[in-house]
Amino acid sequence: MKHTKLELSVGIFVLLGMAAIAYLTIKLGAGSMVGGKTYLIETRFANAGGIHPGCSVLLSGVTVGRVEGVRMDPSDYSAIVTLKLTGELRLPADSMASVKTSGLIGDKFVSLSPGADEAFLKAGERITLTESAVDLESLIGKMAFGSVDKGKENQEKVSKTKP
Amino acid sequence: MKCRLLFPALLFALLTGIAHASNETAENRLKASVGDVVTIVKGATNRDALITAVKPTLENILNFGIMTRRSIGPGWKQLTTDQQKEATRLFTTLILRTYTAKFTPGEYPSVEYKPSSSPAPGRVEIPTTSLYKGSRYDVVYRMEESGGWQITDVVIEGVSLVANYRTQFDAEFKQGGSEAVLKALHHAVMETK
Repeated sequence: MKHTKLELSVGIFVLLGMAAIAYLTIKLGAGSMVGGKTYLIETRFANAGGIHPGCSVLLSGVTVGRVEGVRMDPSDYSAIVTLKLTGELRLPADSMASVKTSGLIGDKFVSLSPGADEAFLKAGERITLTESAVDLESLIGKMAFGSVDKGKENQEKVSKTKP
Repeated sequence: MKCRLLFPALLFALLTGIAHASNETAENRLKASVGDVVTIVKGATNRDALITAVKPTLENILNFGIMTRRSIGPGWKQLTTDQQKEATRLFTTLILRTYTAKFTPGEYPSVEYKPSSSPAPGRVEIPTTSLYKGSRYDVVYRMEESGGWQITDVVIEGVSLVANYRTQFDAEFKQGGSEAVLKALHHAVMETK
């Protein structure tokens, strides 16, 4: 009888522990740890660079929100990223959003940079002044291998000088 | 029932038409200004003459007021009116000198325009590809309508001019206030001489 009780309490303890781990995994993964009052704003990027729901939104290095959703605008194939921001944050209308990477191969995050406009962004409004993820591979490629057009231009110059 | 559907359809068609017309106006204005700059660069003999000749065209197409305010960022509101005027003057000089420094008199870029988009009413983004001295650059011109269509930001290879300056000026402002921002601007202008 004593053994059964002990086994039961250990079982309940293990179950509670697993439930806590599952809860934290879901909550942290989905990025709903931004507590209190929140509001949503949209940002438009030419290239979201792999941003996904749950990614951090930072302002001056401080987490002020999370990415709520990512979708594509079929009219111009741009990426619309919805951000969930803390309620106390008031962003000027000319604020900018950039997709950044922590370190060279680190996590992607959205960095906000407040502007100087007198008007503030309201819930549901969109930040259009954005910087997409910089394509490091293509930049390194351009530096390492040069531009394809260089050869073409040189050829044109040579052919122009020839009679 | 038909009338109910007709009104939204007409409104949508009208708004789409207006957006398309705005894009076209902005595109034409940009193309005309780029054409003017190319003509000036073709005829310029030295850099000083190039700066003098290109200045009126750039002042006409670039909105330096908005660009300066956005580049300085949150610190702009702390500047006095005189300081704001001085900052705009210095920023204008900085952009003109930096821009013209990229050009070699006689050599000019070929610009290819891609379809523009309108991210919000009164705003148009025109992506282009410029071929200059054998290198190809992706340049996006962000234009806004404030009396007429003017450029308010230029994004080169994914890096925004305004965002780039804002990061630097905001750091200066946080360290030393408005005086530090003006000092940094003075310093940057002197360096481009």
